[in-house]
Amino acid sequence: MATLFPTTVAPRGFVSTDPELAAVDASVRWPVLVCFLTAVHWMVVGTFLLVYASSLTHPQDSFPILGWFIDLSNNFSMFTYGRVWPAAIDALVYGWASTAGLGLAVWLLARMSREPVCAPAALMTAVVFWNLGVAIGLTGIFLGDSTGVELLEFPAYASWVLWLAYALFALWAVATYLGRRPGHDHIAQAWVLVALFAFPWLYATGSILLGSGHPLPGSGVVQEVIGAWYVHGIYTLWLAPLGLGLLYYLIPKVSGISIRYGSKAKIAFWTWLIFAPWTAVHDLVGGPFPAETVTIGLILSGLIFIPVALIGMGLISTAFAAEERQGHHGGVVFPFLVLAAVAFVLAGLSEQLLSIRSANELLRFTMFRECNCFLWVYGFFSFVVFGSIYYIVPRLLDFGWRSSVLVRIHYYTSLYGILLVIAMLGFGGVMQGNILENTDTHVTIVTATDVAVSFHIAATMCISLIAIGNGVFALHLGWMLIDWLRLRVRGNRLAAEILLEPYEGDASKPSSEEVAA
Amino acid sequence: MNFVPNFRGFFVLLLLVFMFTWVGFVVFPWLELGHLPPIQEEGSTDITPWDSSGAAHAGERVYAANGCAYCHTQQVRAATSGADIIRGWGTAKDEDGKEVTRRSYPRDYIWQGQTFLGNSRNGADLSNVAARFSDAAGLYSYLYDPYVLNPHSSMPAYHFLFVTRKVSGLPSRDALVLSAKDAPPAGYEIVPTAEAQSLVAYLLSLKKGYHLKPDEAGIPYLPPSTKS
Repeated sequence: MATLFPTTVAPRGFVSTDPELAAVDASVRWPVLVCFLTAVHWMVVGTFLLVYASSLTHPQDSFPILGWFIDLSNNFSMFTYGRVWPAAIDALVYGWASTAGLGLAVWLLARMSREPVCAPAALMTAVVFWNLGVAIGLTGIFLGDSTGVELLEFPAYASWVLWLAYALFALWAVATYLGRRPGHDHIAQAWVLVALFAFPWLYATGSILLGSGHPLPGSGVVQEVIGAWYVHGIYTLWLAPLGLGLLYYLIPKVSGISIRYGSKAKIAFWTWLIFAPWTAVHDLVGGPFPAETVTIGLILSGLIFIPVALIGMGLISTAFAAEERQGHHGGVVFPFLVLAAVAFVLAGLSEQLLSIRSANELLRFTMFRECNCFLWVYGFFSFVVFGSIYYIVPRLLDFGWRSSVLVRIHYYTSLYGILLVIAMLGFGGVMQGNILENTDTHVTIVTATDVAVSFHIAATMCISLIAIGNGVFALHLGWMLIDWLRLRVRGNRLAAEILLEPYEGDASKPSSEEVAA
Repeated sequence: MNFVPNFRGFFVLLLLVFMFTWVGFVVFPWLELGHLPPIQEEGSTDITPWDSSGAAHAGERVYAANGCAYCHTQQVRAATSGADIIRGWGTAKDEDGKEVTRRSYPRDYIWQGQTFLGNSRNGADLSNVAARFSDAAGLYSYLYDPYVLNPHSSMPAYHFLFVTRKVSGLPSRDALVLSAKDAPPAGYEIVPTAEAQSLVAYLLSLKKGYHLKPDEAGIPYLPPSTKS
């Protein structure tokens, strides 16, 4: 069943045997490709900024280059921690995850509609403006125009550009959905539609009420409630549905078997939408808010285990069933998707943990919250995007990845990087919380900082590992594109050379006759 | 799987589900907490809490732009949920110099243009930071070099909020008094910029040395209209 994992099979031959799908893929080639390329660019930028920001929390003499970093941050306002950290997170959430998410949504909606898309130029304009908005927003943060509201730091002038881009994109998406060929609806489509519907709602509420730099006068702590809802909405109603849509589509597609417990998928879908946004209340426990709201919120967000269990069970058991049938996990796409499903369950568990009041009180102000953010953005969503890019790009270009070794390096550095960073921040959060919430009056914040510092150092090292993996991935994508362009420009003489290049460690490499055929 | 049989039905259901959380997190809190008035005692013109100065409001922008809220919270939880009171973050002195130790209530924030409750305590809570720093000079030198006061600090130094300039005539009243390591060359002084001045004005406005009288239900955050 080598064709089930075609990305490692050969440099060419990815065009779907279904001519309809091939036409659809061809019609979205450029918008989706531009989404992915710009997203990968933001990922590299964001990860670099994250390593820099994270290293600023270390003691000054902990490693050689740090002294230089610290001088930079002390003397230039744009390099200070409080600007670089939000810029890094925003680059990852809006630049990397959201841009890639737009590309995934385009591809999935187009495929599901089974019709070549209309107005790819409009789509392209939307993507360009989106990236422009992210670039303007990040520049604004560096220049000191940050609004200081978590995940809404982009100044108002950048929000407008993002708005414009998203409006154009949404028009296109609605047109594509309504113009679909009937009879092919799939739960993946429902998840993606939810995300596309949720984002403008979230972003409208967030950017108008909080992100304008002039919050409603007299609103006081209401701002914080809305802010918490926005942050968790971005995780649970924007990134999670997009990622789950792709998983529900790709896991059966790649493995060739249908989703296990498929009948529960519908319950999981609606319970997720009802309970998951209430995780926002995790940022409010104990604060100056009405106690009854917090209590109701904790109960509702605690029920998140229902959708998480149903979705996790469905996706992961499908993966196991596929491995049982195939005898190997095969290919480069599948491991990423399975890991994404596992990260989803872990993220759900961390939310579940935070919905327990006493655990929340312990972890409320510690680095556990970063752990939670990393689980959603880096752990879950990034792995969905990696797997999807490995699957989609060969189909858009009809051209294969260049080296399975690079894929493997990317996979293992990301896997260990993310697992370690989660372990460090999670465990570090518990340790830090134990000090912060210590009932001994002699314990001060200094004790807590001392404990936290070693975990911050460990986290920086793990993020550097992720950065290496991300860099390898970006270079690999670039290499692939360059070879593809060479092939297009210089034609068959080179084609023969590229096509017959052996693939290292590729168990299912076809013979050259197969390639020729 | 015919999952979306009827787009209109699906959309209406989706709308309802979204409304549910939106009402819970935006509309309901706004109705309950969005218009809290200050408390005015009968027969008195005093209101509690009192608004902070214009310079302090300008400082909010500096606080936001430089991301102070990513490491500092501004909320003191009740003694029943967390050790904030034990850490001493809920303590400030009132006008008579008597110590007031209490949690934060929604009414504490009604005059703030933007609130910075924060979600991370890499640094100390700042709800009552003005109670720990008696004057601007102390805050200026802490912002300039936190290591001098606290060698374990992971707070960055904010040299860029200050300028080094040649002393012409009398030295500035605000010039920083620094240890030998940071001291400027002879004939020069380090003074805060306008940004630093408003930031420090903002920080000095952060103290909650007043009591909020609970109403009959014992809940100090309910608006007066709900009092029986």
